[in-house]
Amino acid sequence: METTFWILSAITVLGALFAITLRNLVHCVLSLILFFLGIAGHYFLLRADFLGAVQILIYIGAVAVLMLFAIMLTRHVTGDEGPREVLGGKWWAGMGTAIIIAGLLWAVIRKDQLAQLLPTGAAQTSVAAIGKALVADWVVPFEAMAVLLTAALIGAVVIALEEVIRRR
Amino acid sequence: MNVPLSDYLMLSAFLFAIGLCGALSRKNAIVVLIGIEIMFNAGILNLIAFWHYRYFVAPTAYIFAIFAISIAAAESAIGLALVIAVYRFYKSVTLDEMTSLKG
Repeated sequence: METTFWILSAITVLGALFAITLRNLVHCVLSLILFFLGIAGHYFLLRADFLGAVQILIYIGAVAVLMLFAIMLTRHVTGDEGPREVLGGKWWAGMGTAIIIAGLLWAVIRKDQLAQLLPTGAAQTSVAAIGKALVADWVVPFEAMAVLLTAALIGAVVIALEEVIRRR
Repeated sequence: MNVPLSDYLMLSAFLFAIGLCGALSRKNAIVVLIGIEIMFNAGILNLIAFWHYRYFVAPTAYIFAIFAISIAAAESAIGLALVIAVYRFYKSVTLDEMTSLKG
């Protein structure tokens, strides 16, 4: 189990690193898919099977494909620019913030007693139990989520079609 | 499984830092969205790790994670629609060139 954890962690971290450092945007999204697969593997390892399936369906099947479409609809796909063009204006400030936050989190996690915990071998949460909880205890957030997703869908179409509406 | 909870917390903290670095220092708007997605996933992994190690029987954290994934999907759809709208206006997705609101 430990070996699986370290292999999956290596896949996840490498995918994330390549996703933000590669110059070609299509390669970035392909690395992002590798990252999502590593996270899904971690979910399977943590015995959250349904969430792993949801991760693959939503992130790889929807979000990554949506990003590929967005890249195809915009220009500069190959990204032949030098490093000056890849990094933003104050890139050193962003990297410094990331390093400081990583150091702070590392220091806090290393000291915390809770973090040394090992898992309890309790019975697994079944998908049926999740479904029942979703329509019994959590029905109001569930419906709110449905409304939010519909609003997001309509909003995305309206924002993307703005130019066409203005032209008429 | 013999991996302590701290390893999962370290991993997700590291992934969060990578995503933050990408979101803050890259120039292309799509890579910024990729960084935000990486941060989202690091947070959800943290939640699921705590669920596995502490509250394995109750599905509360599980449902919270499903809601978080739905919100992330809606967010990325809106974000990419904004990228396309911005591209129509500026003919570029470079964040440094979007300075219309600069005083």
